[in-house]
Amino acid sequence: MFLRVLDRLEEWIIASLVAAATLIIFAAVVHRHASTVPFLQNYALRLNMAWAQELCIYMFIWMAKFGAAYGVRTGIHVGVDLVLTRLRAPWHGRVVLFGLLAGALFTAVIASLGAHFVWRIAGTGQVSADMELPMWIVYLAVPCGSSLMCFRFLQVALAFVRTGHLPSHDQAQVEGVDLPGPQEAGR
Amino acid sequence: MSAAIIFGLWFALLFTGMPISISLGLTVLTYFFTLSSVPMESVALKLFTGIEKFEIMAIPFFILAGNFLTHGGVARRMIDFATSLVGHLHGGLALGGVVACALFAAVSGSSPATVVAIGAIVLPAMLRQGYPRTFGAGVISTSGALGILIPPSIVMVMYAVSTNTSVGRLFVAGVVPGLLLATMLGVVTWYLAWRNDYPRLPRASLADIVRSFRASFWGLMLIVVVIGGIYSGVFTPTEAAAMSAVYAFVVAVYVYGDLTLAQVPKVLLASANMSAMLLYIITNAVLFSFLLTFENIPQTMAEWFVHHDMAPWVFLLGINLILLVAGCVMEPSSIVLIMAPLMFPILLRLGIDPIHFGILMTVNMEIGMVTPPVGLNLYVASGISGLGLSELSRAVLPWLLTMLVFLGLVTYLPQISLWLPRTLGMM
Repeated sequence: MFLRVLDRLEEWIIASLVAAATLIIFAAVVHRHASTVPFLQNYALRLNMAWAQELCIYMFIWMAKFGAAYGVRTGIHVGVDLVLTRLRAPWHGRVVLFGLLAGALFTAVIASLGAHFVWRIAGTGQVSADMELPMWIVYLAVPCGSSLMCFRFLQVALAFVRTGHLPSHDQAQVEGVDLPGPQEAGR
Repeated sequence: MSAAIIFGLWFALLFTGMPISISLGLTVLTYFFTLSSVPMESVALKLFTGIEKFEIMAIPFFILAGNFLTHGGVARRMIDFATSLVGHLHGGLALGGVVACALFAAVSGSSPATVVAIGAIVLPAMLRQGYPRTFGAGVISTSGALGILIPPSIVMVMYAVSTNTSVGRLFVAGVVPGLLLATMLGVVTWYLAWRNDYPRLPRASLADIVRSFRASFWGLMLIVVVIGGIYSGVFTPTEAAAMSAVYAFVVAVYVYGDLTLAQVPKVLLASANMSAMLLYIITNAVLFSFLLTFENIPQTMAEWFVHHDMAPWVFLLGINLILLVAGCVMEPSSIVLIMAPLMFPILLRLGIDPIHFGILMTVNMEIGMVTPPVGLNLYVASGISGLGLSELSRAVLPWLLTMLVFLGLVTYLPQISLWLPRTLGMM
């Protein structure tokens, strides 16, 4: 139950961040060009959209950190499997597991480094240039996203030990096009 | 010495098949923890500031725009327009596929997406007309590679951010090489079709051409938005990317109506997934090149090249070989992110133009996408055509050889890449 809520929340957060960032930059560009049109100038100049660029960057940083965790679940992080595919039964599984645990280790180290860093930044009271947002909130994306990613690596490793299956992102499937199957294409 | 340790460790981790991003990050952490006295704070800072650039944000926007466009509508209309132009020649449908790939490449920044968008429609149609399956799959998987050469291009954005060159200039520099390669691929296709007497389509009337142009107008307008917008300075490249995402959304949902609003969240999620993966590679590649720079490796390499009086043409030949081999086993973004900062000091010392080099790298990455064992275009084309990877690798040979000839031209005639940006006064 908790896991399903977490899954949905993760998907919901990253999809909305992408949509929001796109709309913000769109609005900022429209606003900038509206300010040069005499008729609209008066209205446009009352709004200040200097913060748009900064907000967009921060939204994408959050999207990237949580999206990376989502990517572990969907198996989109590709590696070089040249050697791996040539390995036989016991070693193949061991190497795959090593890779997953290495991922968990790396993200765990990053999470703790990041947490330490955020703690220090919070102490300095540093704020962002345009929005004057406390920087520790922005940087919180790293420890949060990285811990989630670590959790996902462990989850995938556990599932692999139990079932022998890995999530794999079908590279031949590009979102939005329903490919005709090989048989259909052959007609 | 440190270079040997760093690259040795990285290769060892890389070939276990773990994600490229993780192997890069782990190499950096291991090295810093065991062999150097860099304060961990500066590493942590890189972790945060690695992707804090507005230029990088063009990548998620272009991916989003591309995903909206791949939805049948735009691609299908472009194919109709293209076949109405060249369909009456030998191998008309295949040539139409090449032209459609070039058109779609001008609105999309990714090669596999171009292969899917155009191939999924053209290939079944070609088979129905009696083309051999290998011919159809070969022409589409290679022409789809135009996706990253003709601007916009995600690979070019990666190159630009990792070397601090201008995205706009790179985009403009890609136009002439892109058109040249499209022409070369078209000529080879026409020659093969003429020799084997593949079917021709009836010549389209002027009215047909106008009608299909008007149908594809909204899709083609995106070319004007992106390239025109960046060149005229109306938008920065990132803004142009965001505008094209909004524009593609409006065209797909409201103008062509091929996408329902209910499908939009799925497109957003898929785009977020892909962009987050690329941004994660960027973060870790930034860490990796921070380590390399910290150990003075690029500078040492540059010194070595200058010290040995290496002629630029020898260097370019060597770099092409390295990139082609790397392209066979790794996907493009990682190669560009690691190699570009490493090579940049050498370029400056040897007097090679960074824009020219960026185009050269992009062409290498294109070839990497159609060479086994790791060629994204081949995977995609194999999914569409039902051909195995080994059959496909043979099927692409005529076009692959053409691309290698083209690579030679781009390498030794910098004017091909630099003429347009110079003429337009951008550099």
